[in-house]
Amino acid sequence: MKPILLQGHERSITQIKYNREGDLLFTVAKDTVANVWYSVNGERLGTYNGHTGAVWCVDCDCILNPRKTLEPCRPWLCKQLAMLNTSSAVRTCGFDFSGNIIMFSTDKQMGYQCYLNYFDLRDPQQIEDNQPYLTVPCAESKITSAVWGPLGEFVIAGHENGEINQFSAKSGEILKKVKEHSKQINDIQTSVDLTMVITASKDCSSKLFDSTTLDHIKTFKTERPVNSAAISPIMDHVVMGGGQEAMEVTTTSTRIGKFEARFFHAAYEEEFGRVKGHFGPINCVAFHPDGKSYSSGGEDGYTRIHYFDPQYFDFELEA
Amino acid sequence: MNMHDTEDMPPDVDYDEDEPSFSDPEDFVDDIDDEELLGDLLREKPQEADGIDSVIVVDNVPQVGPERLEKLKNVIHKIFSKFGKITNEFYPEGPDGSTKGYIFLEYGAPTQALDAVKNADGYKLDKQHTFRVNVFTDFDKYMNICDEWETPEKQPFKDFGNMRHWMEDPDCRDQYSVIYESGERTAIFNNDPKDPIVAEERARWTETYVRWSPKGTYLATFHQRGIALWGGEKFKQIQRFSHQGVSLIDFSPCERYVVTFSPLMDTKEDPQAIIIWDILTGQKKRGFHCESSAHWPIFKWSHDGKFFARMTQDTLSIYETPSMGLLDKKSLKISGIKDFSWSPGDNIIAFWVPEDKDIPARVTLMQLPSRQEIRVRNLFNVVDCKLHWQRQGDYLCVKVDRTPKGTQGVVTNFEIFRMREKQVPVDVVEMKGDPESKNAFAWEPNGSKFAVLHGESPRINASFYHVKNNGKIELIKMFDKQQANSIFWSPQGQFMVLAGLRSMNGALAFVDTSDCTMMNIAEHYMASDVEWDPTGRYVVTSVSWWSHKVDNAYWLWTFQGRLLQKNNKDRFCQLLWRPRPPTLLPLDAIKAIKKDLKKYSKIFEQKDRLSQSKASKELVDKRRSMMEDYRRYREAALLQHQEQKAARLELRGGVDTDELDSNIDDWEEETIEFFINEEIIPLGE
Repeated sequence: MKPILLQGHERSITQIKYNREGDLLFTVAKDTVANVWYSVNGERLGTYNGHTGAVWCVDCDCILNPRKTLEPCRPWLCKQLAMLNTSSAVRTCGFDFSGNIIMFSTDKQMGYQCYLNYFDLRDPQQIEDNQPYLTVPCAESKITSAVWGPLGEFVIAGHENGEINQFSAKSGEILKKVKEHSKQINDIQTSVDLTMVITASKDCSSKLFDSTTLDHIKTFKTERPVNSAAISPIMDHVVMGGGQEAMEVTTTSTRIGKFEARFFHAAYEEEFGRVKGHFGPINCVAFHPDGKSYSSGGEDGYTRIHYFDPQYFDFELEA
Repeated sequence: MNMHDTEDMPPDVDYDEDEPSFSDPEDFVDDIDDEELLGDLLREKPQEADGIDSVIVVDNVPQVGPERLEKLKNVIHKIFSKFGKITNEFYPEGPDGSTKGYIFLEYGAPTQALDAVKNADGYKLDKQHTFRVNVFTDFDKYMNICDEWETPEKQPFKDFGNMRHWMEDPDCRDQYSVIYESGERTAIFNNDPKDPIVAEERARWTETYVRWSPKGTYLATFHQRGIALWGGEKFKQIQRFSHQGVSLIDFSPCERYVVTFSPLMDTKEDPQAIIIWDILTGQKKRGFHCESSAHWPIFKWSHDGKFFARMTQDTLSIYETPSMGLLDKKSLKISGIKDFSWSPGDNIIAFWVPEDKDIPARVTLMQLPSRQEIRVRNLFNVVDCKLHWQRQGDYLCVKVDRTPKGTQGVVTNFEIFRMREKQVPVDVVEMKGDPESKNAFAWEPNGSKFAVLHGESPRINASFYHVKNNGKIELIKMFDKQQANSIFWSPQGQFMVLAGLRSMNGALAFVDTSDCTMMNIAEHYMASDVEWDPTGRYVVTSVSWWSHKVDNAYWLWTFQGRLLQKNNKDRFCQLLWRPRPPTLLPLDAIKAIKKDLKKYSKIFEQKDRLSQSKASKELVDKRRSMMEDYRRYREAALLQHQEQKAARLELRGGVDTDELDSNIDDWEEETIEFFINEEIIPLGE
């Protein structure tokens, strides 16, 4: 398959997200800029300027119109809707299922602890006062990635030490916790129906969990740290992207584009395909909501949209 | 108040009273012993024993009358002053006025006495008189040996089971050791082409690395306190040798002895740097000093383990087993000896000496134990030599770098000694090209070919030569522009791998030397080691964590270069195949098997097919059950999802968003034109 190359960032890509219909792809990077593109042909629709630091995460509201996007402390509505200031960098953020509540987590830096904050967008008072309706501190290990649960009842958060916790959105208490990974969780993504989550960890593996019970269902092993993983909406496949730490990159093969996205069969836990093309480690992967294409954003600053060949859908491992 | 001279001042009574008294009370007994107070002085207190320890007794001294006594004393003085200052001497005289034939000499320190014993014992004064020198205290020691003989206690027999157990594997799988997790874990695997099968795995089995004994019977592990040997079916500990700080070891080829080296524990009196142990009894056989920082192994063993030798300045010392004493009680004085090497097939040593004024450099082959020089070869204008023996000892190649007279540059010759022919004829092969570059040379095991890598990167050439019976050495083939810096022959001969390790990024070339064809060219990026299994069927290439911090893994290939497995191991360090003991089959039985090979291959192929289909069947079954489990889970999840539909609708204000096309009616259709491609079609005339 021939990929569409999106060049719109000067620094490495930190996250990419499709909107609910999949016609738009949002990309954010360390260069303080957020871009939105048409996923069908890669044409850039626009850019959001205004952040002063690296943009770590983006999420897109699921109501058909209007589009809102959320980046560290700035929910936009085509133009900026609100700006929420925080004392330390915002690492993850997300809209809940209804699109009314935002959660975001702040980093543990410069003496500030890691907090998980909840804002209700329907309440203008909260935004004006910069006061979340609920703040949950995380003392031990900072949150590195988080997603909402199925009905907006809780947030599933992955931590630096490999733990996964469910934080209630009403009370902030920890409903469930598991520790399956041995190292930092780099990314958590949900399946399209929100019943499963997949985690990508620095311990070179990725695991599939049930969203509600946090039961560990599957494990996918590689020999490189995994930066991001996504679940296909229509097939029993998962895609993982990773690579070494940026510091160690110079010692890897300089053959062009050796950094690959790997496809695993979700039930068999076996790798069946790889896609090359990136010049650096892959930082984020995402499936198009219709499952017919996927995108990956890399340390090299490029985002690549891939449409699958027909053989991909017919492919089956012997069973 | 007047100013008085101090002498005139009366004693100040008040002052005295205020000052505390510093004298001990009347009956005070101190509890500090002398050791504490003046320990360092006490240590230097001359010990009574010291005097006797420095006395030596010399026997077989000529008995002379008083007129020649002065002369005798001078001679003795001359000989024995070498070891230190003689502080006292005593020449006992018999009733007839002549010396009794033994004398006592005293030195300033016991070390000098010991020195004298070491070096003067056995000194031949003249035909009838050979000195016997002993330390005086020894006489006492030997006189007082207990008369009662205590039978040594019988040690219970430790049955370690079948030490050759791994050889009995019905599928003839070889074993190999793997160290990974940067040394934390060591595992032994049985090599199966599908997947390695774990035989044994232990954490912290060794502190640094492991070594197999030459016939594969023992696995040696290293620890701060010494080494341990493991073996048998369950890898029980067979033996332990205590040698603090051991860093290097070497086994004798017969597996009877092991040599350990530690840089820590050497003292002048008690040589401890190198120790030779008897493996079966666990006894320390002999210790040696280690003077220079020579290459390990410092002691080189003869192929049958009967002798071992080492080279020091101008000397070649050959020792015999099991006595561990010098062969013929003395070392060989070979002035300027640079290097030596045992033949792997016979008890022959090859050594070379560089040029010395008018005497040309030469390579000598010496037979042992007779010490007969069976061949000497003079070489002119030599810069350096390297000795390469063929695996069976059939040939010796001496790589000679020389500067021919009248030229500036250095050329390389290979002098091939044909060991199996009468008078050991020598043939010379000249190497063209710059020898300054790192060359590699390797003999074919079991055969008569050798391979050479020469030239500068990127134009490195691999040349193959065949040493023919008719006295010619023929260049069979030369491959140029190779990415290779090492040669690895299969232990059975014929096949080999040319590898470009480390800086050459792991380029691999698999060659069949029977017709010098490249069977396969492949790459294992950043490979640091290549290891053939003992049968020559498999090759392992590996990226060790010790040389490269990522992608640590070992790959298994067939001898033809077909990749079978990629085994990633977290921080993989080292893989070593377990050697096999030499075959017990006589040569004609081997010939008979080779003739009937077709019959055997049919049986093996059938077996392989069966196991293949079994494997795929297993895989298919496994997948099927995994899929069933997964389906079941998904169904349950979907059920739950359905139940939550009402809640979802509510959250999204009554809009059904479950499927992408859930509310088609709400969709707006927009037609947009994209610019895709521009094509200019020239309209012809």
